Amino acid sequence: MMQSYWFGDVEGGTCQPFSGGAADIAQRILSRHTSIDHYVPPDWKAALDCGFCRDRADYISKLRAVCVLIAEIKIREKYKSRDTELLQMTRTLDELDTVINLLTERVVEWHQVRQPSFSRKYRRTPTHSLIRMIAQRSGGGLGRVTGDIERLSETRTVLAREVSARADVVMPNCSALIGGLVAARLLLHAGGLEPLARLPGSAIQVLGARIALFSHLRSHTPAPKHGIIFQHRRVHNAPKEIRGKVARVLAAKLAIAARLDFYRGVADLAFIEQAQIRIDAAGEAP
Amino acid sequence: MIWIEGVLVSRGEGGVYGERMLSGARVWDPYRSKLSALYHLGKGIELTNDMRVLYLGAAHGTTVSHVADYTEVVYAVEFAPRPMQDLLEVARRRMNVVPIMADASLPEQYAPLLETVDLLYQDVAQPDQATIALRNCVFLKRGGTLILMLKTRSVDTRREPGLVFSDTVPRLASGGLSVRDNTWLAPYHHDHAAIICVKE
Repeated sequence: MMQSYWFGDVEGGTCQPFSGGAADIAQRILSRHTSIDHYVPPDWKAALDCGFCRDRADYISKLRAVCVLIAEIKIREKYKSRDTELLQMTRTLDELDTVINLLTERVVEWHQVRQPSFSRKYRRTPTHSLIRMIAQRSGGGLGRVTGDIERLSETRTVLAREVSARADVVMPNCSALIGGLVAARLLLHAGGLEPLARLPGSAIQVLGARIALFSHLRSHTPAPKHGIIFQHRRVHNAPKEIRGKVARVLAAKLAIAARLDFYRGVADLAFIEQAQIRIDAAGEAP
Repeated sequence: MIWIEGVLVSRGEGGVYGERMLSGARVWDPYRSKLSALYHLGKGIELTNDMRVLYLGAAHGTTVSHVADYTEVVYAVEFAPRPMQDLLEVARRRMNVVPIMADASLPEQYAPLLETVDLLYQDVAQPDQATIALRNCVFLKRGGTLILMLKTRSVDTRREPGLVFSDTVPRLASGGLSVRDNTWLAPYHHDHAAIICVKE
């Protein structure tokens, strides 16, 4: 029986070497399907006998070249999937938020020590104005760190816009329903477009509410009504009594949207319009 | 195996992952590598310079680099793209590492690239580790050794590791392997067992 190996075909002890460079061999391996049922591992000496390689070292070195090429092709393919970079962007965005919040808290406390009369009581100064004020009035390390926070905030704004724009391309249907940013966060929590497309609506509804969900399953606290999708305006603006209902309907439509995004990759305008009507209807007072 | 005052080392080009050097040899840390832990527990088989090894679950290539220091050739199989980038870098510097990007549970993907090996080493975080080992035994020569690092928590996070272990051993035995030795890798690694088998 003929056996097909990377260096050529072997039948009855004689080998027909494959002519062509490492790239051709790599393409051949990628396109071949070997069945494991009748498979017999090759003897490298067959490659030697038919003149494919000079010696053992040559055999291994040729094989390595082919394998490295195959790996590089496969890595490129894996990364090419549309969601890979969006995941990194969203992760960076969320981490920027964490860093900005932490630093802001620290800087305000630092400022408080320098200004005995400072207090935030009875004032509604937005945090960014407070940061600007501290940056202008303080020198040294405090001034520099505060300046850095301002610059980080600018970076964050730019990045958020990029994430949103990219999400519109990668997941057009989901983004149309809940906006690019929230859609990207859903993607992040699911771990990619494919896993998101495989989730049922009920799971999408509580994606990001892990602690509440498990506390519900373990000790029967009330079930979470929403996870990340709470960040969408139609959920958090809804009156409390019907918020759960809106979240449920929205999540069910998102589950369909995610599948459209993954399997089709283009916006389905008819679906989006129908879904919007249905979600809006859920949000109207009974 | 090369020991220097009770420290397991391998001889090869250093600086792969910032490992310590000891009189010119690379220290092989049992807390980082399960195979090193196995040797520190006094088990495992002697690696020799005429050995061909199939390494499933090569990850970033740290343990692979040590195995390659001892053996003739290592076929290193890894599935995930990010660790693969590191593994490729290791393979660029080590002439006897053949990096294979494929799913270890689908040996037909890489069957045309392989040859018969003397040692099958498996360290994969998959639920069905016994099946993966058995499917890959086609590459193992008669009398060759399988070292299976059983990650019990990957099989089932909630089951007792001991139960997972006692389920796996008979499955290997029924697949034409004779189980020679086994050990838990404590205190170096928790909930990990090593099973050493020989192909009949």
